[in-house]
Amino acid sequence: MDRSWMKSAAAVAACLLLFGARPAGAADAVKIGIIWPLTGNAAAAGQASKAAAEVAADIVNNAHPELGDLPLAKTAGLPNLGGAKLELVFADHQGNPSLAQQLATRLITQDKVNVLMGAYQSSCSFTATAVAERYGVPFMVGESAALNITGRGFKWVFRGTPIASDYARTYMRFFADMKQQGKKIDSIAIVNENTDYGTSVADAIAEEAKKANIPVAIRIPYSASSTDVSAQVLQLKEKRPDVVIFISYTADSILYMKTLKNLDYKPPMIIGDDTGFSDPSFIPAVADIAQGVMNRSAWAIGKPGSVTYKINEMYKAKTGRDLDDTSARNMQSFFALADAINRAGSTDPEKIRVALTETDLKPEQLMMGYQGVKFDHTGQNILASTYLIQLHGKAYDLVWPEKAATAQLQWPMAGWAK
Amino acid sequence: MLLVQVVVGGLLLGAIYALFSSGLTLIWGMMNFINFAHGEFVMLGMYAALLVVVWLGGGPAVFGLAVALLLFFLGVAVYASLIRHVLRGPMLAQILSTFGLALLLRYTAFWIFSANFVSLPETWLSGSVDVGGIWLPIPQLIAGLLAITLTIVLHLLLTRTTVGSRLLAVSEDRTAAMLMGIRPDRMQALAWGLSASAAGIAGALMATAYPWSPSVGETFGLIAFVVVALGGFGSVPGAMYAGLIIGLIQSVSAFWLGPIYKDIVVYALFAVLLWLRPQGLMGRA
Amino acid sequence: MKRLSPTRLGIAVFAVGLLLYPLVFTNPFYLDIGVTFLLAAISASAWNIVGGYAGQISVGHSMFFGLGAYAPLLFYQLLGWPPMAGIPIGIAASVVLAIIIGMPTFRLTGHYFSMATIAVAELIRIFTGTWDFVGAAIGLQGPATARGWWDLTFRGETPYYYIFLGVLAALLFITHTIERRRFGYYLRAIKARERAARSLGVPVLQIKMQALMLSAIFTSLAGSLYAIKTGFIDPESGFGILVSVQMVIIAALGGAGTLFGPVFGALILIPLQSATNTWFGGGGSGLTYILYGGIIVLIARFEPGGLFELWHRVIAKYRSRRDAA
Repeated sequence: MDRSWMKSAAAVAACLLLFGARPAGAADAVKIGIIWPLTGNAAAAGQASKAAAEVAADIVNNAHPELGDLPLAKTAGLPNLGGAKLELVFADHQGNPSLAQQLATRLITQDKVNVLMGAYQSSCSFTATAVAERYGVPFMVGESAALNITGRGFKWVFRGTPIASDYARTYMRFFADMKQQGKKIDSIAIVNENTDYGTSVADAIAEEAKKANIPVAIRIPYSASSTDVSAQVLQLKEKRPDVVIFISYTADSILYMKTLKNLDYKPPMIIGDDTGFSDPSFIPAVADIAQGVMNRSAWAIGKPGSVTYKINEMYKAKTGRDLDDTSARNMQSFFALADAINRAGSTDPEKIRVALTETDLKPEQLMMGYQGVKFDHTGQNILASTYLIQLHGKAYDLVWPEKAATAQLQWPMAGWAK
Repeated sequence: MLLVQVVVGGLLLGAIYALFSSGLTLIWGMMNFINFAHGEFVMLGMYAALLVVVWLGGGPAVFGLAVALLLFFLGVAVYASLIRHVLRGPMLAQILSTFGLALLLRYTAFWIFSANFVSLPETWLSGSVDVGGIWLPIPQLIAGLLAITLTIVLHLLLTRTTVGSRLLAVSEDRTAAMLMGIRPDRMQALAWGLSASAAGIAGALMATAYPWSPSVGETFGLIAFVVVALGGFGSVPGAMYAGLIIGLIQSVSAFWLGPIYKDIVVYALFAVLLWLRPQGLMGRA
Repeated sequence: MKRLSPTRLGIAVFAVGLLLYPLVFTNPFYLDIGVTFLLAAISASAWNIVGGYAGQISVGHSMFFGLGAYAPLLFYQLLGWPPMAGIPIGIAASVVLAIIIGMPTFRLTGHYFSMATIAVAELIRIFTGTWDFVGAAIGLQGPATARGWWDLTFRGETPYYYIFLGVLAALLFITHTIERRRFGYYLRAIKARERAARSLGVPVLQIKMQALMLSAIFTSLAGSLYAIKTGFIDPESGFGILVSVQMVIIAALGGAGTLFGPVFGALILIPLQSATNTWFGGGGSGLTYILYGGIIVLIARFEPGGLFELWHRVIAKYRSRRDAA
C-alpha cells in the first residue's frame, strides 16, 4: 500500500511539474497526444496502456541496441528528425465521449500535439477521431472494438490492432483445424458482455460461425457489472455446447470461472476473448480452477533473452506486473506511429499521414505476433492477426497456430481437475 | 432441478442485498435522508476485508468482525463531520453532500489501491457442496446465511433493546425523544455506524466470491435504492424481504429471459409497485 | 435616477461577458469549455423548473435528455434527415414521457419521487442498450462532415456557442416570466407546503405536470444540442445516471429555485472540471475526482443554500455597511 501511495504522489508531482514548467527549449520534440480512460470504469485498462506507452517512448527516445530489429530501438530519438525525442501528453477522457472530443481539441489546439492516439472505448474513439479528421491531424486508434471506427471515409484515422472480424475468422480457422484432428465441435456458445466491445465481437463470431456452418447453440449477452452469473452458467449447462466463447471484462471473467466450478459444469473447451482473460488479475485469481482455458492474444512474453521478454521486463520494472495483450497492442500501434513519423522526416501532419499509408512493417520488426503492419485505404491494419494461447499452470502458453506453438494443446481442458 | 438451483442462487445473493440495504433503510427511515454513498461503504468493506486478510491473516470470522468495527467508526466519523451539519439544511444540500462523499470515497480508494481488480486470496471458504443435486457454493452459502442472520439481529436490536427503542424514538419524534432525555445526536451517530457496518460486512462477504475495483460501489448503491424503496423506507424486515425478492427475480429472469433483461424486469417491477403501493411492501403510508 | 442594484449590474456584466467570450478566447479549447458551460447551464436551468421551483427533485432527468439526444441522430441515420429535424420529435416524445411519468409519480412525494425517476431513467438506459434499432450499446453517430449548413456540423465551436447562448437566454427569459406570474407563485406554494397549497385551491397536480412538461421540453432540447454538437450518442452518455446527477449538482451548487442559480453553478463547476482534468487527469491518479468530490462536500456543508445565496449575503453585507456609513 505504501508503494502505491508513493507512486501516486510521484505521479501528481510529475503532473504538476509537467503543467507548471513545460520545457521551453523542447521545440524539436515530437508531441504525441494520448487520450485514454485513466479514471472511471475502464481505468485499469487505461492505466496499464499508459504505462505501456511510456515504456515504448523510452525505447524510442533512448538507445536500446539489445532490442534487435524493433524499429527506432537502436537509436536515441528519431534519426530522420535529427534525433528528436517523443514527448507524450496524456489526457483522461473518463469514458465520456463528449470529454474525449474536448480533449482532442485541447491536445490539438492548446498542447499543439503532432499526432493523436487513443481512445479505448469505441464511443470515445468515435468522437475523438472526428475532431482529428476535422483538424487534419493523424489519429492512431490503438485499441477499440467497433467495426466502423475505420471505414467512415476518414483520411486521418488509422487502426493498428486487429478487429472483431479478424478474431472471429481466427476462431473459425482454429475450429476447422481441430475438426480435422478429430475433435468434436458440433456447436458453440457465445457469452458476451453487452457494451460496444462484447457486442461487436459476438456479432462477428456469430456471422463467421454461420459461414463456417458451426451452429451457435446459444448466445448470452449480459451486463459486465453482474454480481452473479449462475443463471448464465446454468443456461450453458442445459445446452452443453462443445466450446464456450466468453467475451468478458475482468470481474465477470473471474466470476464465470468460479461459478463454472461451483456449479460443477465444465465445457470441453472454453475460449476467452482476451480482455478480462488477459487482465493481470485473472491468473492469480483462478489459475487453480481454469486449467486449459484458451485465450486469444497477439502478445507472447517469449523465452528469456528474446526481444519481447526484454520489453516485458521493462514494463514489469515500471508496474510490477506482466504486460497484457491489450496494452501490448496499444504499444505496437504506438511503435507503428513512431515509425511513420520517423519516415515522414518531419512533423508536418500531411507527411506523417502519407508515411502512415506507406507503412509496411515486417513480422520481425514487431513485438506482436502480427504478419505485419500495413494499412488499407480505410486505415485498418490488414496484416494484424492473433495467436491462441492456453493456460498451463500459472501462465499462458502459445498453442495455436501449430507452427508458432511453444506447447501442446490440451483438449478437453482440465479445469479444476488435478 | 435447474430451476431450483437458480432459485437458491438468487436467494443467497438476495440475502447479501438485504444486509447492505438494511443499513440504507435505517438511515432513510430514521432521518429521512438518502445516502448516495452507501454503495461506497460496501466497496470500502471489500477493501477492508482485503487488508485484514493480507495483514492479519486470519479467517473470515476475524475479518468480518474487524471490518464491522472499521466501518462502524467510519460511519460515525462521516456523521459527525458532515451529516450532522447538512441534516439541518435543505434536501438538495443533503443529496449534494452524499454525492460528493461518494466521489471522494471512491477516488480515495482509487488513489490508494489503484484501478486494478483484486480478489480475496482463497480461504477455507472456497469450494461448493452438492446437496441432492443442487450445488451450493460455500462462500455464497455462508455469506447468505450470515447476512440473513445479521439482518434479523439488526431488526431485533431495533425492536427489542433499549438502544433500539431510543433509536426509534428519535426517528418517530425528535423533540419528544429529547424531552425523554435521549440525545438524538448520539443515536443518529450510532445509526450511521450501524448502517456503514452493515454495508461493510456485506461487502466483506461479497468479497469472498466476487472480484472488485473501486468503482464497484455504484452497482451496489443502485441495488440498495431499489431494495429499500421496494421494502419500504425505514423497514428492516421490508429490506430483507425486498432483498430476497430482488435477488430471486434477477436470478429467475436472467435464466428465463436472458441476463440483460434481469435489471429491466427489476426496474419495471419497481416502477409498477411504486404506482400501486408507493409506501413499499412494509412501509408506513 | 434609479441606481442599478449590484445584482443587476453583475448580471449585465456577466451577459456582456458571455457575448464577448468567443471574441476574447478564440482558442477552440476555451470555446469548447464555453459551449460545455452553456449546455450544462441549459440542462440545469431546465431541471430547475421542476426540481428547483416546484421542489420535485428528479434524479432521472437524463430520460428527457437522452430522448432529445437520440431523436436527431436516429433520424439522420435512418432517413438521412438533417439532425436538427429530430429536435421537435425529441421534444414531442419527451412531453409524452413526462405525462406518462408524471401521472403516477406526482402522487409520490419527497424521496419517492426521486427514486421513481431514477428507476425510470435506468430502465430506459438498459433497454436502449439492448435495442438494435437505436444502435444498442454501440450508439448512433451524426454526420462526420457537414453536407450543408443545415446539418449544424461545424468545424469551429463559435456557431455552437451562439446557438447555445440563444437557447439559454430564451430559457431564462421564459423562467423569468413564469416566476412573476401566478404559475410561479403556485410553484413556490407547492414547494413550501403542498398540502396547504392544495387546500387553498391550487391545482397541485396540474401545476406540477405543467412544470415537468416545460422542464422536459428544454431538457430534451439540451440533449438534442448535445448530440448535434458531439455527433455521437450512446446509452451511457444519453440516459446515464451521471447525466441526471450533473444537472442536480449544478443547480444545487449555484442555488436551486433561483433564476440564475443553475447558471452560476455551471459557471463554477464546468471550469473546475476542466481545470482539474487538465492539471491532474493525465496523471491518472483520480485526483480530479477527489478534488471535485471534496469541493462538493464542502459547499454542501458550509453553503447548503448554494453559492448564489452567498452572493446575496455578500451584497447584503455591503449594503448594510454602506447604509451605516
